[in-house]
Amino acid sequence: MRRIRKHSDDNAKLMKDLRSWLIMLPGLILMAFFVWEPLLESIRMSLFKTENVELVEFIGLKNFISVIGKANFTQALINTFAYTFWSLVIGFLLPVILAMLIGETARGKGIFRTAAYLPNMLPGLAVIILWSAFFSGGKTGVLNILLGNLGIPTQTYLTKANLVIPIIITIATWKGAGATALIYMAGMAGVNTELYEAAAIDGAGVWKRVRHILIPAIKKLAGTMLILQIISVFQIMYEPMVLTKGGPDNASLSLMQLMWQYAFGGSMDYGKASAVAVIVTAILLLMTAIYSYFNRKESDWD
Amino acid sequence: MKKFSLITALLLAVILLLTACSGENSEGDTSVQPTEAAQISKELGQELDSFSDEVIDADLKCTITLGNWPPDTAAPSEIALFEGYKATMEKQYPNVTLVPDYYSYSLSNYVPMAKGGTAPSIFQPPFTDPQLLISQNLVGDVTDALAEIGVLDKFSPSYIEMLADENGRIYGLPRDGYVLGMHINIELFREAGLVDDEGLPIYPKTLQELAEYGQIIHEKTGKAGLVFPASETYGGWLFTNIAWNFGCVGNSALEYQDETGRWICNFTSPECIAAMEYMRDLRWKYDALNADTTTTDWAGAHSELGIGEAAMNFAADDSVDQPTSNKGLAIEDFALVPFPAGPAGRYALAGGTCYMFSPDITADQGRALMAYLKILGKLPFLDDDIVAGMRSDYAAKKDRGAPVLPAISAWNDEEYNATKRAIIDEYCNVDMRLYNDFFDSISEGTITLKAEEPVFAQQLYRELTAVIQRVITREGADVVKALQSAQESFQEYLDDEINN
Amino acid sequence: MRKKIIERTGVIRDYDLHSGSVRFWYAAIYVLCAIMAVFAVFPLVWVVLAGFKDLKEFMSSTSIMPKNFSPAQFVKTWSQLGLAKNYLNSFISVAGSVVCALLFNGLLGYGLAILKPRGYGVVKKMIMFSLLVPATISIVPLFMNIQRLGMGNSFWPLWLSYGANAMYVVLFIQFFESLPKSMIEASRIDGCSALQTFFRIVMPLSKPICAVITIFAINASWSDFLLPYLVLRGGSKQTVMVRLFVFSTEQTVNADTMMRSVVFSMIPPIILFVLFQKQLTQNNVSAGIKG
Repeated sequence: MRRIRKHSDDNAKLMKDLRSWLIMLPGLILMAFFVWEPLLESIRMSLFKTENVELVEFIGLKNFISVIGKANFTQALINTFAYTFWSLVIGFLLPVILAMLIGETARGKGIFRTAAYLPNMLPGLAVIILWSAFFSGGKTGVLNILLGNLGIPTQTYLTKANLVIPIIITIATWKGAGATALIYMAGMAGVNTELYEAAAIDGAGVWKRVRHILIPAIKKLAGTMLILQIISVFQIMYEPMVLTKGGPDNASLSLMQLMWQYAFGGSMDYGKASAVAVIVTAILLLMTAIYSYFNRKESDWD
Repeated sequence: MKKFSLITALLLAVILLLTACSGENSEGDTSVQPTEAAQISKELGQELDSFSDEVIDADLKCTITLGNWPPDTAAPSEIALFEGYKATMEKQYPNVTLVPDYYSYSLSNYVPMAKGGTAPSIFQPPFTDPQLLISQNLVGDVTDALAEIGVLDKFSPSYIEMLADENGRIYGLPRDGYVLGMHINIELFREAGLVDDEGLPIYPKTLQELAEYGQIIHEKTGKAGLVFPASETYGGWLFTNIAWNFGCVGNSALEYQDETGRWICNFTSPECIAAMEYMRDLRWKYDALNADTTTTDWAGAHSELGIGEAAMNFAADDSVDQPTSNKGLAIEDFALVPFPAGPAGRYALAGGTCYMFSPDITADQGRALMAYLKILGKLPFLDDDIVAGMRSDYAAKKDRGAPVLPAISAWNDEEYNATKRAIIDEYCNVDMRLYNDFFDSISEGTITLKAEEPVFAQQLYRELTAVIQRVITREGADVVKALQSAQESFQEYLDDEINN
Repeated sequence: MRKKIIERTGVIRDYDLHSGSVRFWYAAIYVLCAIMAVFAVFPLVWVVLAGFKDLKEFMSSTSIMPKNFSPAQFVKTWSQLGLAKNYLNSFISVAGSVVCALLFNGLLGYGLAILKPRGYGVVKKMIMFSLLVPATISIVPLFMNIQRLGMGNSFWPLWLSYGANAMYVVLFIQFFESLPKSMIEASRIDGCSALQTFFRIVMPLSKPICAVITIFAINASWSDFLLPYLVLRGGSKQTVMVRLFVFSTEQTVNADTMMRSVVFSMIPPIILFVLFQKQLTQNNVSAGIKG
């Protein structure tokens, strides 16, 4: 293609570029309208005192100072990192393990794969409502019924401050882990099985093959999945909204939920809501930057 | 001053309304007999027919969208009722186009709509919100339309304060009022042995008794004594009433204005601490609360009581249909009793709902909306249509098995209120002995009605709910510390919002 | 293209199974997989069972099995809530979203992967950047924009929002880059314009990725509720998930009815899953995501 271009004159090239941009234009307009402009608008709104959607006056960083100074921000920030922590504990290795287990099966692999992927297809909101009945605290809560069969007395779950975040993460993991496992399986399928055979002939046991062949093969993928997972954890908002309403005592309040509260929770403070949005974006970008700094050599984009 | 006049107005209204349904039916006779009052009401209605439709030009031409249209989930009788109103309106004003809208108000969903020009012409916010909406120019002015139809002077002064701006322009109309009390599941009281010889529940008169009875019920039936919806703002909302009864009024009020006009939040008065300790004890000392207190919401609380998982629920007279017709509790197993007294007082929270209007309404739309409200019987007019409307309203209630009770009117119009009272009496379908204490306490003044906390009530409730959640989910939580931090947080909010 | 996998592809090879301990662990793997499968499916089975209970039974019975299996409760909920209308709305919303997802993201991906006009790198970077920022973050200003353009209570903003999905663009880019360049150039030489090439050559060659994005878009737009909730408030155009969100926040629906609504909201995704199970669980779909 390069060669053809070289021979054509500049004018034709310009026309061709223009036509190409024209083809992309509808998509670009939509990206601008739905993604880029609102993002910039958030930044602008965060610097203004707002009365509803009108920007009343420029107040610099006052929204940020006010938001950060409040106890619920500190709580939401801590919670969001707690979400991230629990998400890594509960949700990061599980898909890898699932992928390894399912990958080892010969017969029934299709069934296991299907079962693992199924929850991922279900609407997130429906999943949260469904699981709310499992963690319901009365004797009719499904978990209480199941544990009751084992002789364990009735418990409450969603009223315990230290349990709510792990519970929400468990639900999210239930929904997402299977699909993530399939991605890992795709990565693992890239390993030539002859490598295992060769290693086995060299006397490497099963565990050694896992450590020295399988795990290195998915290491890079795991890095990508990690960053995707963290981004998705930072989006947690409707889960606590529906399940615990952020409680008890703000123990499950997430940053995004705090944003929603500022915007739609009664105070209609879009300036402060935008300030929270900007902070979340900044945290995410910072974490991605750190990740890609350590990972830049392997990055296949750029 | 504002509080005082509201209380007076509500009291007046309630006294006017409470006369008939109390005595005659004391034998539990729920059959319907047209009473004298009802007859009078008919005559009155005819007399007042001179208040004819000509006030509003029948050729009026415009389109209005009607928020709070009963959703598909509503009882068929309720849907039919509103279809009936619509048909009447269309007959009287053939050039007014009515667009039903299922919109149900919340502050969060309303603001963007008002800004975007998509708010329905009429909607129903609670009395906590009008001043905020008015100050932000998010609602329409109907003063002229009210004057034209001749009801401007029948507003009770307290409602003018609630629904008008500082220039006296009016932006809303009262729909109805409520007084907080306690819903009782008599089945569970019976099971716990808490009924008298006549089978009436022996209910707690004080908060202390509430805790003890709650414990007994829990021990005897295994069900919760009290269901307490401690989620979002509900917990704090109910807690303010408990706090008042512990003495959080006057100098110890939860929020007050100091000499300089600054709003001060006060959650750390000994009274408030005692009230919060009471909440803590309900859980840890008496074990009287339902299991998932912190995720129980308003509807959930009604469900628990309605299906017999909890014996008591702090709720008002306007939600008696929730546990009964909606959740299936037999009407004879349901009672409404006064809010229990505390060590320092006996208050009951009084509030209500109003009609407000889109900021974009035109003069013609304003007229059409008044005509619509008139047909709904929400204006203090009496004519055949309105009387018929009231009848169908209560007939529908009765039809779906909801208790038909005396309502608390928001209009200062004796004749209108008396008529309404008479019609309610006609449809009364409950044993009033299960309600008399509640209504008597209001009419006799043994309980003091009190409006919600004056400024940023929702935020105050949110803060208090968080404290409640803390003290009832963590055994041994430091009550004072939790209140202190909530106080700091709310004070900061007040400083941000109004103290500058 | 994809061979059926029946033979052993894992780390454990056939001859490893001669060892007793490996055989034990191999059995354990099957047990764990079976537990996983039960764990994945049980909540679904439960919610269907729970749907047979009325309010009283749902809130007071300590048995997982309902007293009876009469479909009456489901029928009642379906007609009482008027869900047929919401289903129709959801289908309309999904159909338009799929068209937009394929068309606009496809064209954008085509430009960035094949046409590559001067300056395309900047756009590509911006798209990659967008992947890192959750969409919900700017929902407030987005909603205001929609209102300003008078697109409230309409399907258009929802449809078009699927035309602006960075993830789909990236998937298209990756797939287009793997297409044989010769075919595209051949079509140019035949006198096809860039746009004709896209519709006549590129898209037909890209059926696999189109299928994937179609499935993703169907599922995503079916499940979506935050923006639809803000846009489609009011009765006439609400989708199933908007209704469910309204139920969960406005407390007008009893707990048992809620569970049946959950069941109804899950039926179409499950049908979709059953139909496209192979495509969804095969490696190429998931591999696309790894970026």
